[in-house]
Amino acid sequence: MRVVQTLDQTIDFETAFEASPNPYMLLTPDLRFAGMNSAYLAMVGATREQLLGARLFDLYDAGPGQEAPENLRQLRNSFEKVLATGERDHLALFHYAIPVVGPDGSVVHEDRYWSATHTPLHDAAGTLVLILQHATDITELEHLRRGRLAEPGAGALDLMLGGGLINRARKVQEANRRLELERKRLLEMFMQAPGFVAMLSGPDHVFQMHNTAYGQLLGRRDLLGKPVRDAVPEAANQGFLELLDTVFATGEPFEGRNSPIELHRQPSGPPEVAWLDFIYQPVRDDDGRVVGIFVQGHEVTQTVLAGHRQKLMIDELNHRVKNTLATVQSIAIQTARSHPDPTTFADSFQQRLLALSHTHDLLTRSHWEGADLRAVLEHETSTHGPLRIALNGPPVALDPASALSFGMIFHELATNAARYGALSCPDGRVLVDWSVSNQAEGRLAVIWRETGGPVVTPPTRRGFGSRLIEQNVRHDLAGEAKLGYASDGFVAELSVPLDRGAQHHG
Amino acid sequence: MAEGLAGRRVLLVEDESLVAMLLETILEDMGCIPVGPIATVDEALAAVADDALLDAALLDVNVAGHEVFPVAEALRARGVPFVFSTGYGQGGLPDAWRDQATIQKPFTENAIRDALFKAMGVADV
Repeated sequence: MRVVQTLDQTIDFETAFEASPNPYMLLTPDLRFAGMNSAYLAMVGATREQLLGARLFDLYDAGPGQEAPENLRQLRNSFEKVLATGERDHLALFHYAIPVVGPDGSVVHEDRYWSATHTPLHDAAGTLVLILQHATDITELEHLRRGRLAEPGAGALDLMLGGGLINRARKVQEANRRLELERKRLLEMFMQAPGFVAMLSGPDHVFQMHNTAYGQLLGRRDLLGKPVRDAVPEAANQGFLELLDTVFATGEPFEGRNSPIELHRQPSGPPEVAWLDFIYQPVRDDDGRVVGIFVQGHEVTQTVLAGHRQKLMIDELNHRVKNTLATVQSIAIQTARSHPDPTTFADSFQQRLLALSHTHDLLTRSHWEGADLRAVLEHETSTHGPLRIALNGPPVALDPASALSFGMIFHELATNAARYGALSCPDGRVLVDWSVSNQAEGRLAVIWRETGGPVVTPPTRRGFGSRLIEQNVRHDLAGEAKLGYASDGFVAELSVPLDRGAQHHG
Repeated sequence: MAEGLAGRRVLLVEDESLVAMLLETILEDMGCIPVGPIATVDEALAAVADDALLDAALLDVNVAGHEVFPVAEALRARGVPFVFSTGYGQGGLPDAWRDQATIQKPFTENAIRDALFKAMGVADV
């Protein structure tokens, strides 16, 4: 016990403690009796030897009875709260039975009502070493109050005895218990909320608390107790610190929508862009001064990225549709030039559209991954029968753009053969041979050779078909085309690189 | 009607061969001499550097997956007027090029002629 000098007297606090008419008792953090004064011993009817060193709840277990477990829980909660928070706790009124020796010498549990204050005592290092209990037995008061309540005119006396006060205290206590439960539930909801939440305090925006989602947003770094400037330096450099300063200074909330921010989502990872919807809400004290900022919001990165992807896809689709329309326009106009007669124009135009469409079908079947050269050839020449067109070559995988080009080329070659060449005679045939040479760079050579047809004479002017073949091979396939008009049969030699990869977009 | 364009050498940059063929035909009909068609940005840059006698150019905005703007820069530096052709619509052009004469795919012969006149500052006679 400490002894201090005051004015001209010496006070021994141990003597004062012992002499106090108020009952006091000291508990160790593991809830064993560490000391008590005479008033306490008298109140509970025990001796110092019985209590010292014993566990409180071994000796006083609230006894039998329905309410006992709840009574014990309330008392234990109060101690645990003091141990957890290091702050004083009040139990204004609680019901707790203690064992007493009856007149016949047997031990019985006696219902008692108590009011208690539990005060933590810390050592110089700040460690909680003892809990001081100041407990008052108010059983008689309570009994008196209850007894009087049954009599007429009890109100005034009840009030006099403090019954109203006790009653109020009990209600406050119950309300406090509910509030505490509610606070815990709110805190849990807050911690588990899918949106991010944080509380910043003071002009430096020090992290007072944040929930799990907020921690995840910032790569689970250590935030509590640190100012934003130090804890999230990258946000400070992107204007967010100025925003917080403005909210703190003006008291006006700030709402951010689809705001991009570069954050280190992993402790040692590279910065990543996240898009956030958030609000900075000023928090005021009782006098209306801004003391902190409540931050809440949610990440919208996936939504923003999906929006970007969708816009890109729509732009690309639009581009492709317009290009396809331009292609069809070209086929129409050029077909019209060589077919002044509307009937033959319609037929020729439709055949060309169908050739384009067939290759599209082939590609759709492979989800636009590509098509095999033989499949493209078979598609464009099937109307003439397999006996008249012999296809001979290894499997060759074509990318979608090349497949479309070859489709158009073979359609023009087959149409030309049927109209002027080998397929216009009953005995005429077409031999198509292809091979892949130069394996390293992959070069495809295709020879289209017509035999048994009419005597060939070179055309007087280049028609749409031969222009289309030459342009397609040179332009779209980056290859070479040689069209030979030997008298014994038309020959087309195509040489095309296969490794053009991403060079063409279609 | 298109005398102002007769004999003009017009560089044609377009990677879709059927579209290129149509443009070629239309240019020939207007009396122009098509140069190309050219299907890549690199070849187009080479053509701009090598051909001293270009009067105008028709540029597809997206050539084989690449934007044609370096070619446009080179033409502007040489003072050769040009027209963009695009399937992306007007919004597909960056702000820097938004005022440039542009034709939208699919196009009409008149649209091409008007755009060339606008770019070349030649009066339609």
